[in-house]
Amino acid sequence: MEQFIEDVTRGNVTEVKVILASVVVGLAIYQVLLMVVGYGKLRVRLLAPGSASWTHRAIGDTIVVLTVIVAVMCLSYYGFEDGGTHAIVACVLLGVLTVKVAVVRIGGRVSRLLPLLGISLLMLFTVTWFTSAGDFLGVGG
Amino acid sequence: MNGAPSRGVQLLGSLVVALAIVAVAIAIVTAKFGSTSAAEREVQEERLEQREEILEERLEMLERDR
Repeated sequence: MEQFIEDVTRGNVTEVKVILASVVVGLAIYQVLLMVVGYGKLRVRLLAPGSASWTHRAIGDTIVVLTVIVAVMCLSYYGFEDGGTHAIVACVLLGVLTVKVAVVRIGGRVSRLLPLLGISLLMLFTVTWFTSAGDFLGVGG
Repeated sequence: MNGAPSRGVQLLGSLVVALAIVAVAIAIVTAKFGSTSAAEREVQEERLEQREEILEERLEMLERDR
């Protein structure tokens, strides 16, 4: 697996991971804005709440795929032992992401949890990014 | 919503915004990396190693001369 990742990224494993993680954080911020419109908290003339929710779902699927790719790259190439805070926060992130996907599928009363889960995910994505990609780019701890 | 674009246009527009965010994120991060690829870095490292070897050889020669 390690060799496969090295081959696919042509030796630029960290760089590819940093780019993908940064794209995910950018999209996660957009996701929150979309749901602010989706829940009708912010009215935008060009975007109806229904359309914002649909786009939120579509981009959410993309984020899940990208997150899994980054996680697989991270675990198989760097391992878990040296991860420290980054590894712990990333594990919590994957857990919350799984719960959010499950809540979306289940629907009903538990859907009330979605805003809280969404905000938590944005925060976790940001912290995970700062402790790896941000650190690599010299903007995080 | 009067004067609002059709649903299809709204969906397309919001996805285009997402693509723009992706493009901007890639542009900003790659700009931070600079243009040095992994292959170029390897060549640079090899050159450095060669220089170090040459320096070591010279030092050894100087010590022998003493």
